[in-house]
Amino acid sequence: MANYSVRVRDVRKVYRSGNIRVKALDGISFALEKGDFAAIVGPSGSGKSTLMNIIGTIDRPTSGEVYIDGMPTSHMTGDSLSGFRNRKLGFVFQAFNLVNGLDAQKNIELPLMLSPISEEERRNKVRMMLSQLGLSDRAGLKPTQLSGGQQQRVAIARALVNDPTLILADEPTGNLDSRSGRDVIKLLKRISDTGSVTIVIVTHNPDIAKACNKVIHLKDGRIDKQEVRRR
Amino acid sequence: MNAKDMIWLSYRDLGEKRARTALTIMMVVIGVASIIALVSQTAGIGASIKDSLSSLGPMSMIVTSTGQQGFTVADTARIASLPGVVSATSVLTGKAAVLSNGRNISATLIGTSPQGLEELLGSINLYNGSVYQNTISPAALAGYGIAFPSATAGRQNIFIGEAVSLYVPGRIGGITLPVEGILQRYGNLIVPVDSAIMMSLPASEAVMRRTSFNIVLVKAANASDVSVLAGLITDIYGNSVSIVTAQQILKIADSIIAQISTLLAIVAGISLLVAAIGIMNIMLIAVFERTHEIGVLRSIGFTSRQVLTIFLFQALLIGVIGGVLGIAAGIGASYGLASVFTHAASATNANASISGSQGVGFGGGGFGVGSGSVFTYGPVFDAGTLVMSLLIAVLVSLAAGIYPAYRASRLEPIDALREL
Repeated sequence: MANYSVRVRDVRKVYRSGNIRVKALDGISFALEKGDFAAIVGPSGSGKSTLMNIIGTIDRPTSGEVYIDGMPTSHMTGDSLSGFRNRKLGFVFQAFNLVNGLDAQKNIELPLMLSPISEEERRNKVRMMLSQLGLSDRAGLKPTQLSGGQQQRVAIARALVNDPTLILADEPTGNLDSRSGRDVIKLLKRISDTGSVTIVIVTHNPDIAKACNKVIHLKDGRIDKQEVRRR
Repeated sequence: MNAKDMIWLSYRDLGEKRARTALTIMMVVIGVASIIALVSQTAGIGASIKDSLSSLGPMSMIVTSTGQQGFTVADTARIASLPGVVSATSVLTGKAAVLSNGRNISATLIGTSPQGLEELLGSINLYNGSVYQNTISPAALAGYGIAFPSATAGRQNIFIGEAVSLYVPGRIGGITLPVEGILQRYGNLIVPVDSAIMMSLPASEAVMRRTSFNIVLVKAANASDVSVLAGLITDIYGNSVSIVTAQQILKIADSIIAQISTLLAIVAGISLLVAAIGIMNIMLIAVFERTHEIGVLRSIGFTSRQVLTIFLFQALLIGVIGGVLGIAAGIGASYGLASVFTHAASATNANASISGSQGVGFGGGGFGVGSGSVFTYGPVFDAGTLVMSLLIAVLVSLAAGIYPAYRASRLEPIDALREL
């Protein structure tokens, strides 16, 4: 059990709006192994993003527990949760969510500012990320000077730079043209193939789901079905 | 996160919004500059008053005759014989106007012996020329402001050996007399030295057509004897004299300055309060604008305390930059204000004397605070005030930054990320 990268156990999320209770997630349980390339799919309002945010510890379940690398996350608070996110998790968002005032290099460097590593090591890591993602000649450019695909690659570099165990990508191709979208998925797949990172993609694109070895279908806050393929 | 990264992250946002940052800093600059400018004025005025009094010394008192009769040498001798008196000096003062090179300059006529002049001034410092002899033949010593009147913007108008015409009230036509000496700048408070035309006592009596004088300058052996002596003199002369001691003047001046200081400090404080509200407003806008970015930083692993620190550090930067620039601006403004006040005072004074009788203006005729003479001073700075105003700027900015920074740090990452 401790080998699971992500284990979600009976997670429920209820939103209250006045007297109305909305069950966004209604008893979700599943597990991902290290190196899994997983997709969470489902129609709008099925609870995909809520589930993703809860796994990413930026939202809390009403009940249930999420274990990441065997560690229960619901009891972590404040600084320990921030540190946990910094060391273990990497986020890739649909809207890229780069800091506009910072160039590509500095955006990638942000998570490393929180690590106790030397400036030299930091520079080396950033340089390596830039070259691995084909961004070396874009290092000094601000997000507004980059194409969508390039911005998303910077975001992926930022998610990867701190060697996380889990990358969470929320509609990573949603703002990209189909070619850039395919490139991003290929890139994520390539990262997953190293076997050291678990990747979870939230999408409603069936083509992306096809590339994944695990697909969790959500409907009305419940798991409708789970597909498992060989890696 | 190391300090360098933190400073960089804080500074970056300020650098990006240059106009906004500059205006925010400007508010602090104005606040600090007004503290320094206003405090340095009152300090300067206070120092100038003390300076004027220091020539008289705390043992001095000015006994002025209020009746028509005045004093005679016998009165001076009688006062000199009182216990605890070191010296008593006969002085005649009156209004006068000096006509020279076509310019009419209002002046105070002071008649006293050269020794008496030394008692009055502490020591006689000549610009050039010499002090008059103690004889009846009229020869004058001109105050600095008479030789270099403000009407010529500081150009010399009267030279040594030159004959000037002196007009006094109640006498038709002027008296011509040579100027034998010019004093250095002394200031004009209590004794209006800079705007005085000085001569021997008998000469002044002849000019004024009097056989008596109006002031006895008394110096006591000890500062503590002054009030006892004042009582003795009042016992002798009753209501026909008024006595002003240097200590009294100092006390009055001190209390007035203290009140003005408090008032000005409140004014400066208000401008800093306005600056604080401005900083808070700007920072709340910045937090609002950067909500999404704060969400991104939190998702990357920045703690709420790190977000708090970034915003607080921005407020600190605004305070430090504004404070340092404010000190520079404050010093500049201080000199500007002092010169504006001095000019305004001399303009008012000039108007007053022009409106005098028969087209000839007469200056003030006595000693004391505000005797109608031009009062000059320079701003006085002390390191304590400068350091304190910098400190206040930093503290006020930090205080203004606390609430916005707290708001930023309290944002839940999930809520912050939803804001676009």
